[in-house]
Amino acid sequence: MMMNHWIIVPVVLPAIMGAFTLLALRHDLVLARIFSVAATVALLAVAAALLIATSSAPPEVYRLGNWPAPFGIVLVLDRLSALMVTLTALLALVVQLYAIGTGWDGKGRHFHALWQFQLMGVCGAFLTGDAFNLFVFFEVLLIASYGLMIHGGGRARLKAGVQYVAYNLVGSTLFLFALATIYSVTGTLNMADLAAKLPQLPEGDFALIRVAGVMLLMVFAIKGALVPLQFWLPATYAQAPGPVSALFAVMTKVGAYAVIRCYTLFFSPALPATGEMFADLLWIGALMTLALGGIGVLGARSLGGLAAMAAVTSMGTLFLAVSQFSAVGLSAALYYALHSTLAAAALFLITDMVGRRRGDVLLTAQGPIAQQGLIATLFMAAAIAMAGMPPLSGFLGKLMVLDATRGPQIALGWSFVLGSSFLVILGFARAGSTLFWKSHETGGTPAPQASEPLAITAIGLLLAGLVALTVLAGPISDWMADTAAALLDPSAYIAANTLGKR
Amino acid sequence: MELLIALAVGTMTAVGIYLILRRRAFPVIVGLSMLSYACNVFIFASGRVVAGLPPILSKGAPDYTDPMPQALVLTAIVISFGMTAVIVMMALGSFLQSGHDKVDMGEDAE
Amino acid sequence: MSLALIAALPFLGALLPGLMIRAGRNACALLTGSVTALALLGILLHAPTILGGGVVETRITWVPALGLAADFRLDGLGLLFAGLILGIGLLIILYARFYLAKTDPMGQFYSYLMLFQGAMVGIVLSDNILLLLVFWELTSLSSFLLIGYWKHLPEGRQGARMALAVTGGGGLAMIAGMLILGQIAGTNTISGIIAAGDAIRASDWYLPALILILLGCFTKSAQFPFHFWLPHAMAAPTPVSAYLHSATMVKAGIFLMARLWPALAGTPEWFWLVTGAGLVTMLIGAKIALFKHDLKALLAFSTVSHLGLITMLLGFGTKAAATVAVFHILNHATFKAALFMSAGIVDHETHTRDIRRLGGLRHLMPVTFAIVVIAGLSMAGLPPFNGFLSKEMMLEEAAHTAPWVIPVLTLIAATFSVAYSFRLIAHTFLGAERHDYPHHPHDPGFGLWAAPALLAVLVVLIGLMPMTFASGLVDVAAGAVTGEAVKVKIIHWHGLHSPALWMSLAAVGGGLALLGLFPALLRLWDAAPRPEAKRMFDTVIETLAALARGIDRRLHGGNLADYLWIACATIAGLGLWAFLTGSHVAGGQALQPVPPVVAVGWFALMVGSLAVAIWHRQRLLVLILISIVGLMVSVGFAYLSAPDLALTQISVEVATVILLLLALNFLPKTTPVDTATPRRVLDLGLAATGGLLVGGLIYALLTRDFAFPSIADYHLENSKTLGGGTNVVNVILVDFRGYDTFGEITVLGIAATLIYALTESLLRPGPASDRLRHWENDTQDAGDRHPMMMVVATRMMLPVALMVGIYIFLRGHNVPGGGFIAGLVVAIALVMQYMASGFGWTAARQRIDYHGLIGAGILVAAATGIGSWFAGRPFMTSNYGYFEIWPLEKFELATAALFDLGVFLTVLGAVMLALSSLTRIAIRAGQKVNVEAYDMQDRMGGEEH
Repeated sequence: MMMNHWIIVPVVLPAIMGAFTLLALRHDLVLARIFSVAATVALLAVAAALLIATSSAPPEVYRLGNWPAPFGIVLVLDRLSALMVTLTALLALVVQLYAIGTGWDGKGRHFHALWQFQLMGVCGAFLTGDAFNLFVFFEVLLIASYGLMIHGGGRARLKAGVQYVAYNLVGSTLFLFALATIYSVTGTLNMADLAAKLPQLPEGDFALIRVAGVMLLMVFAIKGALVPLQFWLPATYAQAPGPVSALFAVMTKVGAYAVIRCYTLFFSPALPATGEMFADLLWIGALMTLALGGIGVLGARSLGGLAAMAAVTSMGTLFLAVSQFSAVGLSAALYYALHSTLAAAALFLITDMVGRRRGDVLLTAQGPIAQQGLIATLFMAAAIAMAGMPPLSGFLGKLMVLDATRGPQIALGWSFVLGSSFLVILGFARAGSTLFWKSHETGGTPAPQASEPLAITAIGLLLAGLVALTVLAGPISDWMADTAAALLDPSAYIAANTLGKR
Repeated sequence: MELLIALAVGTMTAVGIYLILRRRAFPVIVGLSMLSYACNVFIFASGRVVAGLPPILSKGAPDYTDPMPQALVLTAIVISFGMTAVIVMMALGSFLQSGHDKVDMGEDAE
Repeated sequence: MSLALIAALPFLGALLPGLMIRAGRNACALLTGSVTALALLGILLHAPTILGGGVVETRITWVPALGLAADFRLDGLGLLFAGLILGIGLLIILYARFYLAKTDPMGQFYSYLMLFQGAMVGIVLSDNILLLLVFWELTSLSSFLLIGYWKHLPEGRQGARMALAVTGGGGLAMIAGMLILGQIAGTNTISGIIAAGDAIRASDWYLPALILILLGCFTKSAQFPFHFWLPHAMAAPTPVSAYLHSATMVKAGIFLMARLWPALAGTPEWFWLVTGAGLVTMLIGAKIALFKHDLKALLAFSTVSHLGLITMLLGFGTKAAATVAVFHILNHATFKAALFMSAGIVDHETHTRDIRRLGGLRHLMPVTFAIVVIAGLSMAGLPPFNGFLSKEMMLEEAAHTAPWVIPVLTLIAATFSVAYSFRLIAHTFLGAERHDYPHHPHDPGFGLWAAPALLAVLVVLIGLMPMTFASGLVDVAAGAVTGEAVKVKIIHWHGLHSPALWMSLAAVGGGLALLGLFPALLRLWDAAPRPEAKRMFDTVIETLAALARGIDRRLHGGNLADYLWIACATIAGLGLWAFLTGSHVAGGQALQPVPPVVAVGWFALMVGSLAVAIWHRQRLLVLILISIVGLMVSVGFAYLSAPDLALTQISVEVATVILLLLALNFLPKTTPVDTATPRRVLDLGLAATGGLLVGGLIYALLTRDFAFPSIADYHLENSKTLGGGTNVVNVILVDFRGYDTFGEITVLGIAATLIYALTESLLRPGPASDRLRHWENDTQDAGDRHPMMMVVATRMMLPVALMVGIYIFLRGHNVPGGGFIAGLVVAIALVMQYMASGFGWTAARQRIDYHGLIGAGILVAAATGIGSWFAGRPFMTSNYGYFEIWPLEKFELATAALFDLGVFLTVLGAVMLALSSLTRIAIRAGQKVNVEAYDMQDRMGGEEH
């Protein structure tokens, strides 16, 4: 059978570029920048092409080593994976420009190599159709993220780094337990094969597969910062370099993606062994996340912490929509995922802007900073987006999520979403007026600072993305609806794997 | 045999969990390696265990053990080796930066 | 002009001032004004159609999936409000031009103002409830910016935050209400919802929807108990107060109640909720207004009171009452805006707004005086001004509304409003001229008083000839509200039989009496304890924030042990729950015997593990113990038919222990006790539970068979024929699942890269490198750093080890071995050199660049994979053949082997880079052991100095 080699490119291209940067470019920052940006641009182009191609075609399988599923590893390109890869490439490119524009990439060694490896891991995780391979690429993206997280060093950052690594190593171990259990019960690791086999599972094995499913869910919940497994996130996001936190905005989405993928494909609510169990767990987790996130935003003592908790809250909203496992729910979740990724990234970059002008990001009144008016405006826009206020996409996303929340617990879900929005609005209003208004009271002249046009442009691009999401919400949500429908009926996905045939 | 393996895995897991709940980097790291031992044996055993049937094709071998888990464990071992190396160095770095190897954020908490 | 364009114009206009301010304040104001004028013109062009009873619509699809569309619809009500918003907006722009000081950033002001204007126009033109929500929240945001315009004033910031909290919060409630409304009606278009009025009122969801929507309206229109935010919003510049807080924004809630009147009104719930809130608000507002000394505060509370009045009228739910409400909306907008602007003028001229410091201004500021008298008497409801007309009609309606308490309270409120209106006029302008004004006042230039004057003229015209100037507009607006044709008859004289007449007279008399008794009343008022709304609000918010901070601190205080405890407990608990709630049948596999030797090894493993837990404080000891555990594990692998695993485990074991040893060289050698016994017991309990569950799980798995045939059978069958290797595990690693291995070596490569980067940052000037420079080695040095035996042994071993490595590498495909193990073996051999002979000596002898090694390794692996593209095969499709090169015997070469080479290089490079990084730290710490290398021939090892 003829293969579409482009499917593997989003993994191989960054891998080669990372290795090449290590091999040849590590002593020349300028060269590293040029190649790295070029590679990300190429990645974006390929991703966009794949996205367009798959929008009008059934899922497509890429057999690595030409071994048939389920015996070898396959990549599966479908609307969802293409969407996530494109989002990743887009975010990576913009944030990379910021990192270059602010000189962050020069504050330590190997920034661009690690950046490319990070992309390799994320794209690999999105594209794979094999459960164990998903683990491997989780590890790739994790270890790259460890490197980026401690980029530039510093005491607090390293401490947070140790916690981040330790917590996620526990997650990885759990991942392996879960996979081993799944293999031990079903004798397979290919996702489509699992989807085909699990429904015929003998009743005597139900309990064990339920354990495996819960363990797997916990693994993804850690990635997706679902309460009570969110503890790694606040310190990590608050301490990581600005551009890195911004890129991490897509890392939580990897968790969300994995949940959407696995729990619609082979652990779907229709599965006799597990039924609604996972939906219920996600629902409860999402409610707790909304509550704690909102509280965290209101109670934050630094802009970094505020941004981090706002990101947590957005994951709560996202998972609330996912937990419905309905067409509206999933398409709302996907739209909201796009929105919250860009919005959170913008917020983290703005936080970094403030931080590098003030020296800290504590929510205390200090003298005005360079480019205060501009940065304040950008902050206002990002805050509006994160808080889900109009006119930006956050509001539409919130409406979609509310609209998707149906059934008996509607009152509960709505009051949590709206309640946490209220806390978030309060938190942002307090933070903004303290940082950007109160400083007029203290007066004084801001410390001189380069105007950094490239960095500002990067933030502008992210906000422009939000505007586009808002204006084009109609066609986008239609596209999402089709994607959701495909997720809820994975027969095409399974068929594409041509299980067991040469 | 099965019971012994289960006991061993359980014990290593328990020791691992106990150690990662300590307050210093070093025991936490040791705990994590204990967990990864437990985990490796767990994966390996998930293909059922049998003595004397290595998965190396040869004439007249009566049967072979399940090679898949072995391959998975190999991958897992290598990865956890890399991870251990990383966290060891980060712990060392954090120690050199702060002068102690406590794992809580302490005064650096946001 | 398209309604969408009209709604969009102000937003487009919001972009201009920021730029035009460069062209000067006049140009800026002129441009802003002309945009507003253009929009107003657009509305007026539609006026004939509307007054003729028609409607204008523009429909644009936006998010069909959500039922959100950019649908605009202009009817009578919309015309009235759009006219007010744009008309008064125009006057405000003019007024602000002369009001704002040179130091105020005017461009910013106009931008915010236009944003707000656009949002308001959007609200009144929307025909889609979700679209309306968008504009609704936008008014909250833009008013936040406008109230906080004077950023240096704490009152401004607090007022802005309070307004946003209250109105924004109400907006959130309204989102829910609107969504419910839409779901009941089955449509989100307002016209559709109005049409479905009966269904809505009949639905079980009617009451929740009503309450949620009213929450939005009451907060926005400052109805009791949410009235408290409005006076604090007066910290804004006066043009803002005049625009937002008298004419427009605070009327948004009123507008929405009027808009949805046909769908929601007419039920008892509506009557009691709306009338009740309105009545109380009217009363409280009027009472407080009388005792306020700040001109703007007085006007603010009078606004609250009048809004209450209008709300009450809408609450009555009768066609007539609704008509009066519409009429009073118009009148109130005219006289109240005029009064606010005049108050601004007084403030501007005298530099104070405190009535107690004013008085006798009538000769100094005759024009302002005239305006205030006209507008003020209208506010008091005296003829012949427009306020009188709507007031009379309002009293008429109230008089005929049961229960009796309504007319009574209305009368009291009316009395107070007469009183505060008179006080405003009398205490500011009448009386003797004073000489202690903070700034000697006189009438301002035309620019400043033109706007209020124009409004005053309107007050008079409508007052004198209502049927000419107002009735037409009132008819269509009221018609739009009630959904029926309205033909209003506005007259000045209702006849002696009308209760309204007597109530008015009573109100005027009572008002005069109150004013006469004012000093006495004021003493009572000041003596009486009152709830201070702002303090209460602040307390609530601050407690909330403090609470949140507390919770967040407690939860995310940075204690890893707690984090992991919660994680483990959650996982264990949910895992157990999932198991117990599912059906389980124990597997039937026969247990396998345990040879004694195995039992011994197992015993060692168990003892070793437990010992690790017990003596984990002695760190060196723990390293020995853990390597025993690792050793036993690998022995176990070997026994259980996994030679590859055994080899890998043991070599990884060695590398790990070396690494830990080198690190421990710096870390403390013991772990102090830092947890109390109860916590340790708790931890033990959790650990035991976890261990039990995992053990139980693997036991359950071990004793059962696969539910379906394992995919591994395929690998066993095809490893030789298709994979070209007899060592199935290795074939899986480099071929069947070579892609995993590709990821795996990348992980190793990244790990080493990371470690190198980390080392670099540690060695940079900073606390870490200082600590290293002044390093005191706390361990007892060994007598001989380079035992001759070890040196010799390792030197001898090196070539052997290298040979072994290559051998293992080559045989890997068919018998245990492979690139990974080979890489580790060679790496360890080299590390031995470091340990035995010291860094200097070894480094001097081998100059391999480890970064290059890693990069090359990954590239080789990737290239091997890509190679198969040229054969038209997918990534990593392997190929192999048999070759014969004399004198070697026939051997097999597979592309898989090339891939394995990549593995080999990466592993070697990674391990060496990691360890050499550690060594660099050691050098910085001045550790002799690594620098002055012992050497048998020469002493060049010292070159590192």
